[in-house]
Amino acid sequence: MSVPISQMWAVASYVMRQKLRGRKRYPLVLMLEPLFRCNLACAGCGKIQYPAQILRKQLTVEACLKAVEECGVPIVSIPGGEPLMYPQIGELVDALVARRKYVYLCTNALLLKEKLEQGVFRPSRYLTFSIHMDGLREEHDEAVCRDGVYEKAVEAIQEALRRGFRVTTNTTLFDGVNPLRMREFFDEMMQLGVEGMMLSPGYSYSKAPDQEHFLRRTKTHALFSQLLSNPKRHWIFNQSPLFLQFLMGKHDYECTPWGNPTFNLFGWQRPCYLLQEGYAESFQKLMETTRWENYGRKSGNDQCRDCMVHCGYEPTAVDQTFGSWKGFRGALVATITGRL
Amino acid sequence: MTLEGWVPELGEGLTLSQVIELAFDYRGNTTVVKVDGTEVEGYLFNRNCEVPEPFIQMFDQNGNGPFRIPYAEIRNIQFSGKDMAAGRSWEAWVERKQREGAQPATGHGKEEE
Repeated sequence: MSVPISQMWAVASYVMRQKLRGRKRYPLVLMLEPLFRCNLACAGCGKIQYPAQILRKQLTVEACLKAVEECGVPIVSIPGGEPLMYPQIGELVDALVARRKYVYLCTNALLLKEKLEQGVFRPSRYLTFSIHMDGLREEHDEAVCRDGVYEKAVEAIQEALRRGFRVTTNTTLFDGVNPLRMREFFDEMMQLGVEGMMLSPGYSYSKAPDQEHFLRRTKTHALFSQLLSNPKRHWIFNQSPLFLQFLMGKHDYECTPWGNPTFNLFGWQRPCYLLQEGYAESFQKLMETTRWENYGRKSGNDQCRDCMVHCGYEPTAVDQTFGSWKGFRGALVATITGRL
Repeated sequence: MTLEGWVPELGEGLTLSQVIELAFDYRGNTTVVKVDGTEVEGYLFNRNCEVPEPFIQMFDQNGNGPFRIPYAEIRNIQFSGKDMAAGRSWEAWVERKQREGAQPATGHGKEEE
């Protein structure tokens, strides 16, 4: 079992409440970015390239909590930048756990062991460290543009598990990835004892510096089919099986850009976690004034054509899972049989 | 290609709205030259041209703000600050790694503050 029953129930009951209220557009996971500072500069990341005065800034804990209350989601993901560089990260996580929010703290783990030793965090079923791991040692260090990061991340994973924390990995797959090596990576992560793994195809958004290595949709289908068509029983993916099937080309979903709204120093990001086309001053204004019809595959927007990233499509898969008997049955069968 | 150092010449071929869009996309500080002659240097992080009074929003070079400036008060925008997205590419990292040999001591990347 990858995700605690309590978390599954929290998400399922939340989705069903939205359906009962007739709410067509609802958020599922808040992407809360308290700062843009990072201790890495990965070639695939365009999120940290700002002038110094912006990198020095950060949200207050109050502003973070206000954003969480505004959108009312059951799950809060804390990426960045590197969230462990946020001085109030312990206080923020404590406050979110007290509010019974399921927190995924997305980190490169370089500072994790130190923070654990300092007692900044306490194990809780509401808190998961989601460790950025893009492959085996050579591939990961190349993806993050620094040698030695993989080893440090593995040490941090082991320490966090030893202390009783929930730990998952999150992996972005770029063009040129070796499927056999990636399957070996899955084996290695499960051998470490992580709760589950999360996958997403890399997406070329205009501010990311590396434009040539991002996947295209057909190649994405082929890659994920190779990776997941014959999954090993001990592999656990901390994601909706319908989303993984979508990556394999088995479902034709439309994006849900409001599903993972993003809040950071600049406000509520339009339209989604990846595209930065402006900011709204409140969650309500984000939902009411963003021209949603301009995004997603059906819109014809070039920027959306090849995108299959989790932040837009996993909410769709979750909505399908808990919003229809067909979706629920499909997800249940995949979960029980372990076949995608 | 970078816009760093560019001082736009507004005219028929280039409108203020177009320059504002480019400044919004630019990953560095810009200098907003106002119609009253004053200048504000900082990071332009938002613009909204779909409201009755279109505006930009920015943090100044000390991080103060956000400040809202209506389009109507802007004469021009200069791309005065360093482009923080320029040169940070996969290819640059690979080249550096090859220069350092088989076992580089360090990769590139921001050091922890």
